[in-house]
Amino acid sequence: MANTHSHGGHDHPEDGGHDHPAAPMVDEISDFEILELAVRELAIEKGLFTAEDHRAFSEWNDARSPAAGSRMVAKAWTDPAYKSRVFSDPLAASKEVGVDWSEPSGFGTTSDYMHMTVLEDTPTLHHVIVCTLCSCYPRPILGHSPYWYRAPNYRRRIVRWPREVLAEFGLIVPPEVELRVEDSNAKSRFMVLPVRPEGTDGWSEEQLAEIVTRDTMIGIAMPKPGRTSDGPRPIHKASRPVHSGGRPREAAP
Amino acid sequence: MSGSNVGIQQAEGHYVDLRRITLLESLRNEEQTWSKLAPRWCVTNPDPPWQVCLDATCDALSAGGALDSLDRRHAEDELGETVYSEIPNPERQLLALAHIMVRRGLMTEEELARQIRIVRARLEAVQE
Repeated sequence: MANTHSHGGHDHPEDGGHDHPAAPMVDEISDFEILELAVRELAIEKGLFTAEDHRAFSEWNDARSPAAGSRMVAKAWTDPAYKSRVFSDPLAASKEVGVDWSEPSGFGTTSDYMHMTVLEDTPTLHHVIVCTLCSCYPRPILGHSPYWYRAPNYRRRIVRWPREVLAEFGLIVPPEVELRVEDSNAKSRFMVLPVRPEGTDGWSEEQLAEIVTRDTMIGIAMPKPGRTSDGPRPIHKASRPVHSGGRPREAAP
Repeated sequence: MSGSNVGIQQAEGHYVDLRRITLLESLRNEEQTWSKLAPRWCVTNPDPPWQVCLDATCDALSAGGALDSLDRRHAEDELGETVYSEIPNPERQLLALAHIMVRRGLMTEEELARQIRIVRARLEAVQE
């Protein structure tokens, strides 16, 4: 007789019932989970948006990840004709890797305008992207922006001291390499096409895509064989909170 | 999509009134944040499951015209550097959104408190 273990008042055979153990999950209701639901339900109750609107955006959000950008870069590295399309018509090139920028509304989202520019790195030129204004980011192709990208500390300092900030991320850009910081704005999204690293000759698109992580397409890391994830990044606090920002008087209604 | 830009109350020089909200202060328990919850339950997902829904709420509010994304992000920055600076993300983003909606008159503190009670009772109900 197979061994069994008791779980939740019923027994499972140790061998043959499940192929793998259940992934651990948080079996606890948090106040934040409740708050998220309460805010959403109240907004729907008040007619600020509909449940159908929310479902559409949820599904769209859930489907986003940097994987599409990784495929785009890997394909550009191996297919010169595709690479030229990446620069001449990035939205069409996005479609070829399964991303339609017009989703979910037919004209994108209200914060992801349908305009994208791909920035090509070379051995003597390196790009890094930021949004100094808020946190504009090419969500359709890279998924959600990391919190350090949204943090005022990164946004304020990367444009002033780019080499120093990149060094904090572990990326030392040699002085002979030109560094360009591209500031996203309300209507433009950017993505970095990094240089294909040495040691990847003969690799398939799938193999190449694995080393094109989110951070390499933001420009705070370089792809290299064996590096397939970004790991946690520090989020620094602002040094002069609020007093350095604030609502411009001319913007007041 | 519906909604209107109603009841907006701006604080001079700021995108949002930064005065603390009693209800939200009562919810800022760091032990309940995902960064504490996930390791307690050996979960490795970096974001809580409700993160996707929160982002969708922000998108839907902007699409409906009730709360523009850029305006929200400015207000989030102000709150994140002051009132909620000790709270990690995405809980900070959530508290800031609720704060902005209350302070701008999109919902009242009392309405939110009532809805929290309703949701809590529903989620914590035990089937007989």
